[in-house]
Amino acid sequence: MNTNCLGVTRRDCLQLGLTTLLGGGLATAMRASSGTNKIAPKAKSCILIWMDGGPTHYETFDPKPDAPSEYRGDFKAIPTKTNGMMVSEHMKGLAAISDKLAIVRSIRHDQGNHGAGNHYMTTGAPPRIPVGCGAFVSFHPSMGSVTAAEVGAPAGLPAYFSFPSMTRSGGPNFLGAKYAPFVVEENPDQHDFRVRDVALPSGLTAGRFADRSDVRVEVDRFRRFLDKTSGDPAIALDEHYLQAAELMKSKEAQAAFNIGREPEKVRQAYTRTAFGQRALLARRLVEAGVPFITLNDGGWDHHTKLFDALKTRLPSWDQVVSALISDLDQRGLLDTTLVIALGEFGRTPQINKDGGRDHWANAMSVLFAGGGTPGGQVIGATDKKGFAAIERVVSPENFASTIYTKLGIDPNKLLYAPNGRPSHIVSDPMPIKELMG
Amino acid sequence: MQKFLILLVLLGTPSLSLAREPTFERDIQPILTRYGCNAGACHGKARGQNGFSLSLLAYDPDADFAAITEEARGRRLFPANPEFSLLLRKASGEVPHGGGKKLPKDDPNYATLKKWIASGTPRTPTTAAKLVGISVLPRERIMTFGTTVPLQITATYSDGSSEDVTRMSQFQSNDSTYAAVDAFGKIVAGPLPGEAAVMARFQNTFAVCNILIPLPGTVDAKYYDNLPRKNFIDGHVWNKLKQLAITPSDPCPDATFHRRAYLDVIGRLPTPTETIAFLKDTDPKKRDTLIDRLLERPEYGDFWANKWADLLRPNPYHAGIKATFNYDAWIRESFRKNKPYDQFVREILTAQGSSFRNGAVVFYRNRRQPDELTTMASQLFLGIRLDCAKCHHHPFEVYSQDDFYSFAAFFARLGHTGQGISAPISGGEEIFYVNPTGTVKHPLTDKVMSPRTLLGKDIVIPPEDDPRVVLAKWVTAPENPTFAKVIANRVWADLMGRGIVDPVDDLRATNPPTNGPLLDELAADFRKGGCNMKSLIRRIATSHAYGLNSTPRDRNVGDIRNYSRHYRQRLRAEVLLDAVTDITGVNEKFEAMSPGSRAMESWTVRFDSKFLDSFGRPDPNQDPPCERSSETTVVQALHLMNSPNIQRKITDNNGNAAILAKSDKTPAAIVREIYLLVYCREPIAEETAKCVARFEKKNANRREATEDLMWALLNTPEFAFND
Repeated sequence: MNTNCLGVTRRDCLQLGLTTLLGGGLATAMRASSGTNKIAPKAKSCILIWMDGGPTHYETFDPKPDAPSEYRGDFKAIPTKTNGMMVSEHMKGLAAISDKLAIVRSIRHDQGNHGAGNHYMTTGAPPRIPVGCGAFVSFHPSMGSVTAAEVGAPAGLPAYFSFPSMTRSGGPNFLGAKYAPFVVEENPDQHDFRVRDVALPSGLTAGRFADRSDVRVEVDRFRRFLDKTSGDPAIALDEHYLQAAELMKSKEAQAAFNIGREPEKVRQAYTRTAFGQRALLARRLVEAGVPFITLNDGGWDHHTKLFDALKTRLPSWDQVVSALISDLDQRGLLDTTLVIALGEFGRTPQINKDGGRDHWANAMSVLFAGGGTPGGQVIGATDKKGFAAIERVVSPENFASTIYTKLGIDPNKLLYAPNGRPSHIVSDPMPIKELMG
Repeated sequence: MQKFLILLVLLGTPSLSLAREPTFERDIQPILTRYGCNAGACHGKARGQNGFSLSLLAYDPDADFAAITEEARGRRLFPANPEFSLLLRKASGEVPHGGGKKLPKDDPNYATLKKWIASGTPRTPTTAAKLVGISVLPRERIMTFGTTVPLQITATYSDGSSEDVTRMSQFQSNDSTYAAVDAFGKIVAGPLPGEAAVMARFQNTFAVCNILIPLPGTVDAKYYDNLPRKNFIDGHVWNKLKQLAITPSDPCPDATFHRRAYLDVIGRLPTPTETIAFLKDTDPKKRDTLIDRLLERPEYGDFWANKWADLLRPNPYHAGIKATFNYDAWIRESFRKNKPYDQFVREILTAQGSSFRNGAVVFYRNRRQPDELTTMASQLFLGIRLDCAKCHHHPFEVYSQDDFYSFAAFFARLGHTGQGISAPISGGEEIFYVNPTGTVKHPLTDKVMSPRTLLGKDIVIPPEDDPRVVLAKWVTAPENPTFAKVIANRVWADLMGRGIVDPVDDLRATNPPTNGPLLDELAADFRKGGCNMKSLIRRIATSHAYGLNSTPRDRNVGDIRNYSRHYRQRLRAEVLLDAVTDITGVNEKFEAMSPGSRAMESWTVRFDSKFLDSFGRPDPNQDPPCERSSETTVVQALHLMNSPNIQRKITDNNGNAAILAKSDKTPAAIVREIYLLVYCREPIAEETAKCVARFEKKNANRREATEDLMWALLNTPEFAFND
């Protein structure tokens, strides 16, 4: 334990001046030799539809039509194309393409607040210490950041996008700011949509910008402390300038962002809403080869008046998600694009006094489509009243390992934090086999 | 005997199973807590789990006993053959258990449970000795990289007896990078010098073991004796560095100190004239006199008010524009006048009157319920987080629900009349006053709570008195254990880059300071000085430690906790925007503010500013809007490079770049001026030569060369960071 790398103690590293190497070459070399199994990717990209707040499993993918009314709620269950798969009456679009979908009804964990639930589901790791409900915490790199680091970026584009904001635990943690999501907060449904500051300001020629950039390199003599344990924040800024410069130069990026090139019919199919057009933008980025895109869709924390809210929200959400899956399918992209939709947890069985449901991590439903996922299946089940996952119970670790394995990333691989501490990408590398095909 | 026990533990022998007859409260409930059975995520959840419900962290023994022995028609226990009890079969994973296999059959705790069932599930007699507390051995330990230390936990009871409860305790390290701990209390030191506090928890008590891991190699003790000491701060910092065998960086150059002091004390860059004068000054005390001068500058009030506005300022969509504006004006006035901090807090806590006339009263317009006020006041002014205690006893804290609602009772008699909240306008006037009656009830017991200070005694307050006056007196009293510490720690974190306690408003035994004696003396000194904010800032900024270089030397590279060097900080959003304005000489326009206003003077976060948003000003919709991000992001890089607004400022015909280009200055003089404007230092000869060459290139355009140089410097970390 007193060696952090290749049998060299940290102190030796300091004396030998090896620390800069450890940040780059040597660490990379070690990573390559850490016994990783090569996995053939089934999916090239993943679109994560994050339903922030924790969507109810009852009113989406795990209706309980036979439960007493205080559990069942106001909505009816409807059959789908698939025998035995019932979904909420407000999921008509998805019901019609259920042959493309796999629903997992039996993921459960033990983190009942937003900060912790988000962390567990978006990183595959439970928070290391108890965290508060409103917390934005990061103890482990997010799936998007790991994918960015392991799969890499297509030419001229970032590897990991997040619209319109990062999820609470969507950051890179020890992987470093280079793998932070590229956040596009602007609304692509607006006619003047333009990704802010990615283009040169008007009146500035590319030649002059190049000149300026040369001067910048010349004048920059600020000393960087390359040893990662020194925590020099200037290093992160450097990484961001590199990414920024790449992004600006990229023709691919500018083309992918140009959502105005889509026929109006296609734009309508996704609904002319911010969420709908973000889903469409995600598809354009998938076409450009971006491996991970998060749609951070807020407002699913229905402690009160759940039915009033979802009556209007669900049909629209259903239209966007079914349009996205169908569109990917028609373009031949669904086989290589994994679409998943979930939140932090499910919601409580008994409807509360305010007509809502509260946080409930004992059961939740997750939607999978594409990326080689066999469609038309329901995996696992909750009990008759939806209290808890009881059949084929799987964990957030299994969930994250499924996504990694599909993307060709070995979830059992060891990553090294800057202090030399190794950690597996996911502590339990077993994917959910029914989803693997 | 004790030696023998320790030896046993060292040899890795598990504690022996219980010799005496186990009883429920003393022996069984701790096991339920140890394995997380009654945790909030499992059976401790309000409605239980799969029909089996336990009280959260064992606060209700009667209910737990009934749940185990009587509910479900007693099928959870099978005294005739204890191993067939559902309780054991579930816990050991013999039958499917949602929580998994928690308690292996070979665990001594399994044997204890079995024995308890076999002997007829006895309760602990009410006359039995009560748990007094636990102690941990060792209480502190100096470790070397990668070594291990087992912890031993001993519980003491009111009859003077004690017992080893290591196997029934839970463990947690506050920083597992330095020292991690496993489920059985074995500490493993990491590969870096530093410290960690490892907490052991047994029932409602905890104990902490402090681990120190020095850097290998020795430093002559005389080395530390000979380090400079400008005030008490330095002695405490050097003592700590000595323990860790790390050594401080060199003092920083004058120009770095000058820029740092301006940014830290008044939140703006020095002008070229100010920088030149300071560099020329030969007075050996010039650093100290600079701090004195800065503290008298008018910008001081706005800068520190802007920081406090992060903590106090309500969302105007909620509290209303006029109220928010009044509140902001009140905060600003307090810092302009250098109001003693205890008076500042007292005025907030006891505020009465109209939201249109007394800004401080908006504290109560924004947070309206006693429980909301409790959480806010305790965290802000005492650094004590009571949010958890609102619903349950917090396992790492000493406060219970009783403490929470007794504290809330101080706000029970606050009355208000007039127009309340009618978001998003909330434009009306509201008057706050003290009612002769009004109560807060405990949500579980419905008991009417008497006002009681934290860990204090119930207080009877006559109807004609304001309970908040009593509260404010206790909060700000010299005896209050955390009041002065939390403000000293906040200001220290602002100036030094990291709190002695981090997060700055989370003071508790299980989150210890990195330098306790230093925080104690800072707080005492602040008290002695009459809670004078400027004296506190002066004390810190005139220490030798404050003036250290950020550049590490060979024995402090990894130090990010103990102030052996200065820690770099990115400039705050408002400071950065004002700096761009000063450098370019082109004002920023803010909605609802007079022309020429600075970002630091803004009274709300409601107006549009892509710049401020990119650099992390608080989101007005987030509640509370307190945590600011100091991270750097690609969006910030893109904004500084490409935003039309910054391009406009650099190229404005009346801006500094245009004026410099039009002047008859030589290229070298222009370069010098821009270096002084942006980096606040003289360029070295090599820098001047390279930059001048840009002006003298064939076809060079003097105006463009000036603008490009300004742009280039603005886009380097030497600008964006306080070094």
